[in-house]
Amino acid sequence: MIMSSLELEEKILRQIERLQLEYISSIDDGPLENWPQFFTDPCLYLVNSRDNLERKMELGVMRFESVGMLVDRATATQHAAVFAPRRIRHVLGPVMIDEVTAQEIMTRTNVAIYQTSPDGDTMLLMVAQYQDLIAEDEGIYKFKEKRVIYDTLRLPDSVVYPL
Amino acid sequence: MKSDRAKNATLWANASTTRVPFEVYQDGDVYADEMEKIFYGTTWNYVGLESEIPEVGDFRRNFIGEREILMIRKDDGLISVIENRCAHRGAQLCQKLSGNTGNGITCPYHQWSYTLDGDLTGMPFKRGIKGKGGLNQDFDMNQHGLCKLRVESLNGVVFASFQDNVPTLREYLGPEMFKYFTRIFDGRNIRVVGYQRQVIDSNWKLQMENLKDPYHAGILHLFLISFGLFRLDQKSKCLVDDKKGHSVLISERGSEEGQEDIGGVKIAAPDFSLTDHTLIEPRKEFPDDVTLSIQTLFPSIIIQAQCNTLATRHVIPKGPGSHELIWTFFGFEDDDENMKKLRLRQANLMGASGYVTLDDAEALEFSQLGLTGAPKGNAAVLEIGGTGSESNDHLVTESLIRGFYMRYRDIMGYRHLGF
Repeated sequence: MIMSSLELEEKILRQIERLQLEYISSIDDGPLENWPQFFTDPCLYLVNSRDNLERKMELGVMRFESVGMLVDRATATQHAAVFAPRRIRHVLGPVMIDEVTAQEIMTRTNVAIYQTSPDGDTMLLMVAQYQDLIAEDEGIYKFKEKRVIYDTLRLPDSVVYPL
Repeated sequence: MKSDRAKNATLWANASTTRVPFEVYQDGDVYADEMEKIFYGTTWNYVGLESEIPEVGDFRRNFIGEREILMIRKDDGLISVIENRCAHRGAQLCQKLSGNTGNGITCPYHQWSYTLDGDLTGMPFKRGIKGKGGLNQDFDMNQHGLCKLRVESLNGVVFASFQDNVPTLREYLGPEMFKYFTRIFDGRNIRVVGYQRQVIDSNWKLQMENLKDPYHAGILHLFLISFGLFRLDQKSKCLVDDKKGHSVLISERGSEEGQEDIGGVKIAAPDFSLTDHTLIEPRKEFPDDVTLSIQTLFPSIIIQAQCNTLATRHVIPKGPGSHELIWTFFGFEDDDENMKKLRLRQANLMGASGYVTLDDAEALEFSQLGLTGAPKGNAAVLEIGGTGSESNDHLVTESLIRGFYMRYRDIMGYRHLGF
């Protein structure tokens, strides 16, 4: 079946939306062990402020370059870190597709991330934008690069879970 | 005096600093007193790095205590630090975090303008319109400049003081602290790698205490212990200056002798190992064998060198129960590509989400939550390593915290009240 370019774009968009939703669910609903599966290996996962980005500084609050490093983060968060219990919840905006090539798709997605304490107090953890480079890996879309660029320069408290 | 409550004898009933009354972490009068006597008193406060403002007119906004200041590169190449408040009606002059203000500073409200040194140069309608209005002839422009701070820079690191009678920065640091300060800031050009900022809901002093508390580091930080990045049985020292307010703690990775001794610390997952070890493979970069050094300078700056991740951590008080922490990760202009990569990678250990410092921010909030509302007379107990505040060749001690409070009590005037 030959699809029109519009139909093709719609199909890609739906697949990417599904990828993003499954991605945030692995963090919000768990299990966190599933989180690294959404990346190619090697990859780049970078949580960085817009302020740093504008200064061309690629320093991350988190900065991982392989699936192994992502696995380590997930494990360490569960077994080698001390923090007050919390729940986080991502709220995504629509996916914006910037560029589609034969190998990769560049997208941007706005995201607000809320954090709720054991007493049930909810605060805004950050407002950010996913700047993603998505590639097909054995027939499945995965993040080759995922940049979480946050506007919320003064981060409240600490950032425990991946974003 | 504002702090009658602070001067209540119950506040510091014990002559030694083995007890710290919980009131000093939550009392509004104590806090107000700290601003005046410590931050706006005869101390040197960290303002930033010279490399952040390379060009004439470059500025960066920051805080000393609760007062907002600007660090500015002047046309003679030197640096001025002025308060970010117009001498006219008190409006904030610069709103951007950093930028370039050209040859002078102009207030956006009524366009009163100043030199980069903070001298008042002019304002619109100075003589009114057709002789009506404006300023009186006897208005003395020289008396209405911006609040100027005393400035000193040491190997690219800028400090400022609200007081003219502060000793020189070198005297303020003392010889031992100068030695460790210039071990990191050795005169090479500094390259900022990036910033992180976080707001932690604890009193600012708890942040300083945490970096003077090697005892916790070998217990709380399971990540460090698991990978031998820091352990209390490593060859180590903790040093204080003569006035006890500054300190440095250092340790050498791989120097453990004989049987591993983690002192009965409970590790949740003792078999936890890393899949990707590149994160904890540092490169030697200083002449000695020290792999971790944490220097704290009174009142509110921390200089961290853990493996190849170097950073200043600037503690900014935000009321008795909160503070902001600004992390400036840095390297040097002569870093090669590999070192640049290592610094970015190892930054995962530190900052708002760091494998190590995440625990710290959480523990500080646990402290503040725990001590809030404690009955009068309740105090922290600081007797690990005895009661003194001397330098040590081991880390199972709270002597640096006891030292901090000796300096603190001296400056706050609590010491001479007969208790």
